[in-house]
Amino acid sequence: MTAEPTRPGLSQWLLSEQPASRNQARLGQAWRIWLAFTRNRLGMVGLGIVVLLVLVAIFADVIAPYDPLMGGDLRTARLLPPSWDHWMGTDDLARDIFSRVVHGARLTLMVVALVAIIATPIGLLVGTTSGYFGGWIDVVLMRITDIFLAFPRLILALAFVAALGPGIENAIIAIAITSWPPYARLARAETLSIRNAEHIDAIRLQGASSGRIIWGHVVPLCMSSVIIRVTLDMAGIILTAAGLGFLGLGAQPPQPEWGAMIAGGRRFIIDYWWVATMPGIAIFVVSLGFNLLGDGLRDVLDPKAQQQ
Amino acid sequence: MALIEIEELEVVFGSGGRSVHALRGVSFTVEEGESFGIVGESGSGKSTVLRAACGLAPVTGGRILIDGVPVTSPRDPAFYRRVQMVFQDPYASLHPRHTIDRVLSEPLAIHGFDRREARVEQALVEVGLGKGFRFRYPHQLSGGQRQRVAIARALILEPKVILLDEPTSALDASIQAEVLNLLDRLRAERGLTYVLVSHDLAVVSHMCERLMVMQNGAVVEQLTRQALRDHATTEDYTRNLLTASEGFTRDPALQT
Repeated sequence: MTAEPTRPGLSQWLLSEQPASRNQARLGQAWRIWLAFTRNRLGMVGLGIVVLLVLVAIFADVIAPYDPLMGGDLRTARLLPPSWDHWMGTDDLARDIFSRVVHGARLTLMVVALVAIIATPIGLLVGTTSGYFGGWIDVVLMRITDIFLAFPRLILALAFVAALGPGIENAIIAIAITSWPPYARLARAETLSIRNAEHIDAIRLQGASSGRIIWGHVVPLCMSSVIIRVTLDMAGIILTAAGLGFLGLGAQPPQPEWGAMIAGGRRFIIDYWWVATMPGIAIFVVSLGFNLLGDGLRDVLDPKAQQQ
Repeated sequence: MALIEIEELEVVFGSGGRSVHALRGVSFTVEEGESFGIVGESGSGKSTVLRAACGLAPVTGGRILIDGVPVTSPRDPAFYRRVQMVFQDPYASLHPRHTIDRVLSEPLAIHGFDRREARVEQALVEVGLGKGFRFRYPHQLSGGQRQRVAIARALILEPKVILLDEPTSALDASIQAEVLNLLDRLRAERGLTYVLVSHDLAVVSHMCERLMVMQNGAVVEQLTRQALRDHATTEDYTRNLLTASEGFTRDPALQT
C-alpha cells in the first residue's frame, strides 16, 4: 500500500510507510481504519445517528424549546397533536414531547455509556483471565458466567432493580451486571485461539508476567471483537433500559426517559397516538444507529473480515 | 563443562489414554560457542526438545542443566536473559497490533534495561534493518524482514544461547540464505551458542559443527559435520534421510 499521491500534507504524513515516531504510527493506523470505515455508507449513517445523539444530549438545553419537566396550561395544552408549536405534540401533563425526547437523549446516552464502561472491562478481564490460565480458574469463572447467562437478561435486570430499588442509577447497575457475561465468553474464545500463538510464546520466553501478557498482548487482540459486540449490544441495552422504564423500575417520573414516556402514553394510544409513538421512534432510530455502526465497525476491525 | 546439558529428557503431552510420548530419553550436550543441529522428520520431537528446554513444553522426566546448574520451573528471569528463541513462522511470532518498536522494547522493559531507545535502534541496524523500520507494523514487512525483527528481539537481551526453531523454513530460498548468513555473522561477532532445529540437512550442515538425528522422539545418532558430508553414518535411518535430502532422482531403470 502506498500513500495516495493526490493528497499531500497531513494524509501523506499519516499514511507514511516509515513513521518517525510512536504517535505517527498510531495515528496512521487509526487513519487507515477511518479511511476503510468511510467507505462503508451504512456504517457512516450509523455513526451519523450516534454523533447526532451525542450532540443532542450535549446541547439539549439549547435545542429543546420548552421545559421537559414543567408542562404548559393543563386546561388548554394537554394532549395537543403535533403542530408547529409542538413538533411532536404534548402529553397528558401538557409537556412538550419534543423537549422531553431531546432531554431523554441524555438519559439514554448516560445509560449506554455507563453500561459500556462498567460491563466491558469486567467481561474482558473475566474472559481473558479464564481463557489464558485455563484449568480450575477457567472452570470457576465460566460457571459463574453460566449462572448469569442462565437467566433471561430483562428478568435478571428486573430482579436486581427490585432488590436495589427503582431508579435510573440502579437500572444502569442492573443492566451492567447482566450484560458482561457475553463479553466474557467472547473474550475467552478469542483468548483460547491466541494463547498458543507463537507471539504469545515469544513474550512468555522474554520473561513477561501473566498480567503483562494478558493486558499488553491478549487484550488488544480481543478488543476489536468486544468493541464490535458492545456496539451491537447498545441497541439491546437501550431497549432493556426502556423496558425497565416502561415497567416503572427504571427512570422515575418526571424524568423524560423514553421507555417511561411510552408507558405513559400507552393508556391512550388509540386516541392520542403521538404520545407513545414519538419516544418509540427515538428508541428505534438510536438502536438502528448503533446497529449500523456496529456492523460498520465489524467490517473494518474484524481480522477475519480483513483477510479478504 | 558443557554450556547446555540435557539428560534423559522425557516429555509426555496429555494424560491417560490420549497421552503422547513426545520425547523418550533424549540426551545431548552443547559446548559454549558451538552450533548444534537437530534434524529429523516432522513429528520426530525435534522442536519439542527446544520447547522443553525453554519451559514451553512440560518436562516429565530428565534434567536440563545450563552451566551445570539445573533450570528452575518456572524459569527465572536470569534464564531468559541467557537463553532466547527464534520461532519458525515469522508471520505468527510477531504481535500483529504492536509496532516493531514495541516488539523490541517489551523485553527491555521487562528486564529493566537502560538506554532502551538506543538499544532498539542498534538492534535493528545489527540485523540489517534500518531505523526507518522502527515504527512499522509487522503487516508492513515481508517474511524475511519479520524474521530479522524476530532475531533482533531474541538478541536484544544479549543472551548467550539462541534456540532456533526452523528459522528459515517459512522463507523462500534467496531470503533463506540471507537470514542464515546473518545468523552466522551474529554468532561470530557475539560468540553465541546456537541450537538449530531443522528438517533441512543442507541448512544444518551449513550452520552446525555437530548434529543429532531424531526419530519418534528418540535420538538415532549424533555425528559431526564432516561425517555428515562424507555420508559416514552408522544408522540406516540417517542414510535414508541423506538420500532423501539429495532430492528427487529419476530411477534410470524407469527410463525406457
